[in-house]
Amino acid sequence: METFEVLLQESAKAHGHLCSGQVVGVRMAMEGCRRIGLDNPRERSQIKKLIVYVEMDRCAADAISTVTGARLGRRSLKFVDHGIMAATFVNLETGKAVRIVSRESARTLAASKAPQIRDRHRQQLEAYKTMTCEDLFHIQAVKVNVEACDMPGPTKFKAVCQKCGQVVRDRREVMKNNRILCRPCALGTYFTPVKEQEKKENEKKLHRMVI
Amino acid sequence: MKKNYTAWSFKTIPVDQAVGTAVTHDMTQVIPGKFKGPAFKKGHEITSGDLCRLMQMGKNNLYVLDLKTGQIHEDDAVMELASALAGPGVTFSGIPSEGKLELRAAYSGLFKVNVFALEAFNMLPDVMCASIHTHTPVTKNQSLAATRAIPLVILRADLDQAVALAKEHFPVFSVTLFLPLKIRLIITGDEVYKGLIQDRFQAIVKEKVTRLGGTLEESVILPDNQDRISRQIQEFLEKDTDLIITTGGMSVDPDDVTKEAIEDSGFEQIHYSSAVLPGAMFLLGYHGRTTIMGLPACGLYHRTTIFDLILPRVMAGETPGARDLARLGHGGLCLNCNTCRFPACSFGKPG
Repeated sequence: METFEVLLQESAKAHGHLCSGQVVGVRMAMEGCRRIGLDNPRERSQIKKLIVYVEMDRCAADAISTVTGARLGRRSLKFVDHGIMAATFVNLETGKAVRIVSRESARTLAASKAPQIRDRHRQQLEAYKTMTCEDLFHIQAVKVNVEACDMPGPTKFKAVCQKCGQVVRDRREVMKNNRILCRPCALGTYFTPVKEQEKKENEKKLHRMVI
Repeated sequence: MKKNYTAWSFKTIPVDQAVGTAVTHDMTQVIPGKFKGPAFKKGHEITSGDLCRLMQMGKNNLYVLDLKTGQIHEDDAVMELASALAGPGVTFSGIPSEGKLELRAAYSGLFKVNVFALEAFNMLPDVMCASIHTHTPVTKNQSLAATRAIPLVILRADLDQAVALAKEHFPVFSVTLFLPLKIRLIITGDEVYKGLIQDRFQAIVKEKVTRLGGTLEESVILPDNQDRISRQIQEFLEKDTDLIITTGGMSVDPDDVTKEAIEDSGFEQIHYSSAVLPGAMFLLGYHGRTTIMGLPACGLYHRTTIFDLILPRVMAGETPGARDLARLGHGGLCLNCNTCRFPACSFGKPG
């Protein structure tokens, strides 16, 4: 694995800016991989052995993805929407896994670690670089049962929604009223389709604005 | 049927010569009353430190596997078996343990088994699958079934046959979502209507329907008056009602008029009486998209009755008929245990 400084630079570039979340994410990922016995997770020989669960969609999630090489599209990065600054690193080969949670107490500790810096964000950023893992994180060994339908690799499972005909991958279909359905048909959608009438009205509005 | 595995090309080596070789399958250790699980996982490289534990487990010889064409390791086989058996709402781990995979509920709902297909599957050589009963309400992650290839190595042809059978009867196992039904309740009885006794049915029904995701929209108390009960049912039918539940008045006394009131209300299908105790005088009917259930008064005394067997099925969108009510006879006798363990008992589990 590259050094912390190199990984931090890389992560800041990929994310778009350098922030304390990047520092926390990079350190979390380095420590997580070390503890499950993957010293170079982005290397070809190790890339398929790792699954990472991130529990927030914040800056640190991008840093973790950069350092570990875990990607949503590769199915090696899983988003669990808990709103907790935490991630779990799983070695699929050995079953070894650790969950690392960022300690809230590290925020207050940052003031004493870098008193010379006035700006709170900069203070945290610098302090998190040098703080011990014990001060920064709560780490616990865990077991994760990775479902067959969550495994990386080629698509093994496909179903067809009996209402709308949509192909559903990876066993996300549900049974409702004796029919196999996609989740939007069975459980509702997060979006509302714009009706033709509304569409035309929106176009008119836009047209007026342009004029 | 057991095959003659001695003809297969397993190489056996004494355990003291096994240092450096990889374990070919998960090796189970049993310590009575304390532990049963894999002591060594497949792929584990045996070290000199492991020899003592292996001998304590009674392993003096180990297999070295040399898979020939047409032979499948149990871990690969069980993945194919689970994939073929598991329908919507059924999930399983990506990593088999001890050659076995546990099938679990991906979400809460009604677990359904194609019992005929499961039996046919278990008639095939070298595979097995055991499940809990069909029509059991289950919660997310609950264990539903487990499957495995019985020998360490299975023939590709046998595996293909089992997979084909499961696919032909797809889904052998599935979990159906409970529907958020709108429910209206009519509590009948002069004694409750006049306030001589306090109603307890509403609380019981509300608890049981809301647990499965239904909503009790309305509830009324009526005297044992056939005409009034019938008019109330019709009023509920005109509203947006998925399920009407009546309580009481299902027996044979002159004051028991609820059954007649339901019959007057224009239901296309009515099934009266079930092969279940408690709950023989249960009524189940259908009118358009609305279901009606007539609960006998036994529901006030017994914690578990026919209502607990039929409600989950109706909540899952099923429309059980006379045959279903008759089939419940086998396993339909509640033992009235001092401590009720339902659903972990034989009640309502036709075999």
